[in-house]
Amino acid sequence: MTAAMEKWRAPGELLGWASEYTSGRGTYVWNNKIYASVVGIEVVSQPPVAAETKGPLIEVVGGKRHGAVPEPGLVVTGKVGKVTGKTASVEIVCVGSRVVKEKFSGIVRQQDVRATEIDKVEMYNCFRPGDIIKAEVLSLGDARSYFLTTAKNELGVVSATSVAGAKMVPVSWQEMMCPITSQKELRKVAKVV
Amino acid sequence: MALEFISPEGLRLDGRRPAEIRQLRANLGVIDKADGSATFEMGNTKVIAAVYGPHEVQNRSQQLLDQALVKCEYSMANFSTGDRRRKQKGDRRSVEISLVIRQSMEAAIMTHLLPRTQIDIFVHVLQADGGTRSACINAASLALADAGIPMRDIVASCASGYLNNTPLLDLNYLEDSGGGPDVTIALLPKLDKITLLQMDAKLPLEMFEKVFELGNKGCVAIANYMRNVLLENTKDLAFARGVVKV
Amino acid sequence: MLQSKAFMKKTRRGQVVKVVREHYLRDDISCGAIFCQSCEKESACLSSSAPNILIVDTNVTLHHIDLLENNAIDDVVILSVVLEEVKNRNLSVYNRIRALCSNPMRRFFVFANEHHKDTFVKTMPGESPNDRNDRAIRSASLWYQKHLGQGPPILLLTNDIENKRKALQEGICTETVQSYVESLGRPELFDLVAQVCDSSLAEMDIEDSRPSKKKLIYPEHRPMSEITSGLQQRIFHQGKLRVNRYNPIEAYVNSESIDEEIIIYGRINMNRAFEGDVVAVELLPEDQWKEGNTLKLIEDEEDEVEEKVGLAPDSVDAAPTSLQAKPGDFGSKIGSRTCGRVVGIIKRNWHSYCGSLEPMPMPAGVGGAVNALFVASDRRIPKIRIQTRQLGNLLDKRILVAVDSWDISLRYPLGHYVKTIGDIGDRATESEVLMIENDINNRPFSEQVLACLPPLPWSVSQDDLKCNYREDIRHIRVFSVDPPGMYQIREANQMIEEFMLAANISVAEKILKHYPLCALLRRHPIPTPKMLEPLIRTAAAVGVKLDITSSKSLADSLDNALGNNDPYFNKLIRILATRCMTQAVYFSSGELTPPEYYHYGLAAALYTHFTSPIRRYADVIVHRLLAAALGLFKLPAVFHDKVQLNSLADNLNFRHRNAQMASRASVELHTLIYFRNRPTDAEARIVKIRSNGFIVFVPKFGIEGPVYLTPKAKDNNGEESCKNSADWIVDEEQQRISTRDGKRVYMVLDVVHVHIEVIEPQPNRSKLVLTLLK
Repeated sequence: MTAAMEKWRAPGELLGWASEYTSGRGTYVWNNKIYASVVGIEVVSQPPVAAETKGPLIEVVGGKRHGAVPEPGLVVTGKVGKVTGKTASVEIVCVGSRVVKEKFSGIVRQQDVRATEIDKVEMYNCFRPGDIIKAEVLSLGDARSYFLTTAKNELGVVSATSVAGAKMVPVSWQEMMCPITSQKELRKVAKVV
Repeated sequence: MALEFISPEGLRLDGRRPAEIRQLRANLGVIDKADGSATFEMGNTKVIAAVYGPHEVQNRSQQLLDQALVKCEYSMANFSTGDRRRKQKGDRRSVEISLVIRQSMEAAIMTHLLPRTQIDIFVHVLQADGGTRSACINAASLALADAGIPMRDIVASCASGYLNNTPLLDLNYLEDSGGGPDVTIALLPKLDKITLLQMDAKLPLEMFEKVFELGNKGCVAIANYMRNVLLENTKDLAFARGVVKV
Repeated sequence: MLQSKAFMKKTRRGQVVKVVREHYLRDDISCGAIFCQSCEKESACLSSSAPNILIVDTNVTLHHIDLLENNAIDDVVILSVVLEEVKNRNLSVYNRIRALCSNPMRRFFVFANEHHKDTFVKTMPGESPNDRNDRAIRSASLWYQKHLGQGPPILLLTNDIENKRKALQEGICTETVQSYVESLGRPELFDLVAQVCDSSLAEMDIEDSRPSKKKLIYPEHRPMSEITSGLQQRIFHQGKLRVNRYNPIEAYVNSESIDEEIIIYGRINMNRAFEGDVVAVELLPEDQWKEGNTLKLIEDEEDEVEEKVGLAPDSVDAAPTSLQAKPGDFGSKIGSRTCGRVVGIIKRNWHSYCGSLEPMPMPAGVGGAVNALFVASDRRIPKIRIQTRQLGNLLDKRILVAVDSWDISLRYPLGHYVKTIGDIGDRATESEVLMIENDINNRPFSEQVLACLPPLPWSVSQDDLKCNYREDIRHIRVFSVDPPGMYQIREANQMIEEFMLAANISVAEKILKHYPLCALLRRHPIPTPKMLEPLIRTAAAVGVKLDITSSKSLADSLDNALGNNDPYFNKLIRILATRCMTQAVYFSSGELTPPEYYHYGLAAALYTHFTSPIRRYADVIVHRLLAAALGLFKLPAVFHDKVQLNSLADNLNFRHRNAQMASRASVELHTLIYFRNRPTDAEARIVKIRSNGFIVFVPKFGIEGPVYLTPKAKDNNGEESCKNSADWIVDEEQQRISTRDGKRVYMVLDVVHVHIEVIEPQPNRSKLVLTLLK
């Protein structure tokens, strides 16, 4: 095993100079020095292309990670709660592939449902209470909830039950069909590849 | 009759010398349900800490837009002191210590990385024999690290005092009730910064330097122990999961 | 290495709690031997040239502390378990043993056996604390034997039979104190070995000690548990026992749980309690409460109460008082007072007493131990029985004796000789005796204290000159009126006195203004009319009217009290007035109300002592208060603590009183020495009438004492016989005594002639007597 070569770090340990390295996950910069901020193994790798500084990337990984928190740009999975004329409230259950311990509140506004014809959107025809949707976090939102958007092909309803009670099958980006009654219902459907 | 806290041979009531701390013991991950947890024992003082979070702020009005909200609650078990009695949860001393622990930990947690979230720290004293405040801070520190919450440094805390004209380190309950001053220090050891400095009773200014220095050294020693515990524990977990993958 | 000590304890409120404490064991505790190779030598003192290294157990330390303090005993290991036990049982012995251990001249080493990993002993289930401690002592002794194999042999000194037996079983060399001292071959040490009625020692054969034949003189003390519950239920009262100096079979106890003072009459009721012991007292049933006059005088002759010839008293405190009327005196009838008896002793106040042995014939054999009776100079202490081998040496000496025990079957307590002070009657010895009795410490100042002084030669420094609160008055002409050899100018002296009073008063006002709750002041309580009654009566009998409405009116009346053709009359009246006065005392202003601050003698509303800081501690305190009031220095911590300040004032008063008593005793001593072999005749004035004589004052020498008109006789009951005094009749109102036929009359303030001489009714018991000359 690579045990001997691994460098285990605890929070507060000095890793290197900010001028020589780029600070990555699990580290922070203070007074031109890079310190560890979590418990883990120090890993040095090539800097990502988009980084500002040129030095190699230094990260501390491998320890226990803190609970998932929605951040702008991440894809979250949630359950639709209330649907009104302008908004749909969403209970965020997963962030990326990680389940959250406690649910976060999100909201999908009318203008964020899809990319085209945003003023002609009928919320009731996009989401129904109980639907499981995949959305992307737009921003931290207001005091009450995160702002979510489903305005991409791969975002939207991934699972829904029909009025008859069966799990529906997606038909098009706007319709889903109940297998038992063969009735079609309107939803903003996610394109699952 | 004044109790002799240090014998002329240089031994304290329990056999330690003035600059020795009590036996330390710590365990991580003792509460499965919590995001992070730890127990910390300093001699006969035993404390358990649990950390929940980061999660959504429950009370919207308290939400901080640019940083995480840190909440702390300190309580003592009925059976923690010599006489069993029902401890009021909201009594003055508990509220004060909760505040003090919160302030110390907040200084170390990198709250700006987790805006609009809340981190709850619960500390519970199982057995009190002097230095409960310090043990709580140490336990909370370990629990936060166990929860993976990013911190600037681990917080180590120790109490020191001055009795019979000698600075003493890590007072137990008898020495604490001896009427002398009680200085509690919480330190970020690698950064060499203080997050908490509290004192009871009176102490001449010239003596304060010495007592403070001693407390500082105590904190550094405790920090070393905590660091070792953290690394041991995490190594075990990592090996249990197999080869570490980024 | 961490052990845990757990035990149950009862808190003050009566709750039972379990106490758990950590107990760390160490491996860095040194054995204290200089010659040891393995331990660190920083505080080592046990030498390799000693014949033995002694380890003492608790009881040996407690009872034989005098032996240990003797220079013949050295190289002793005191275990920390022994030290703890001694501390809990007797604090004064603990202080003495600590002093021995820290004394660099002696070789006593404290070994922390409780924290040493090899000598720590854990309590076995069901083991008593005493057994566990004994086991710890044995374990430490065994360790020492192994550790210091090549050095002097280890010897465990213990008088406990069980401990000794087990030690021998375990292979530890052990001896009793008796046998060890015998082996040293120094007979003078033998006297220091205490007499204790242990089960392990052979009984003394003073009384017939066989249990069936033992006469039990005193009731048993109740067990502590009964006493504590009795105190809680208020059946018993706790307080300090105060024996009447002038009547040692009478004692008082003041307790917080009862308003009145409890009186204890008689040796049986005192139940072996000593002056200063904290005792538990049970009240006697009311029908047994005594009235003042009807008391029978004492159970045996030895406790006779006599009035003696001594210095004229200058205040109520110095004059003999007694609640029980003396035979032939007409004290006012006192109502029945609360009486009680001692049922237990909570804290003993035993220490060493000075005095001498009661004269007795020398024993037939030589060198054997003899039982002698020791009489303390302090009359409040009962006689003490000691054993000594050097009776011949001690009979005419003043010696120091310590008390060991008092069994219920023994009339007197057992004690042992500590040291000799000097010959009886020798001026230096007697002076030292009265210093010891009055608790006056005249040892030289310690190094630490002397180190506070600036080094010589000293001169005013630059810093002193620059100091902004000091003024340089060296340029002003200043006179000193005191130095020896100076011709005293009376008026200057008086003026100085006036200035002194003014200074003291103004300082008192200043410190009281700034510190109304903690200023140290001096007050003189106003004498009550009752206290002045004898004076008024006497004055009235000779035709002088005294107005006691105020101190000024009294002063004026005294000024006007002149006798015809009697130049000494006024002085006599003044002397009589002075002895009715109380003493002035120090007090803290927070304890009393402003009207009580009054100083009767100086007629001042406020007074304190300020002008003599070089000879009085009270003045130093007032200087500190004044410095703080002026903002020059910070007020010392003692003033913030009411309890401490009060105890300081009490101590000042206590020491002042003691100093005065010592001073009076010294003058009496020198008076006695003067009159020895120099009998003299002198003029005397009658100051008080008794049923069988009167008290006279001899102005030339300033002494006062009884003159008996009838010989003192006793009948079978030991009561002073009043039969003979039927020849003399006393008129109380007129303050005169006359024969039945009226031929001889003596009135108060009359002139008589007396013969003064020193007689020695018993060897080494000199006393001064006055007899009337026809």
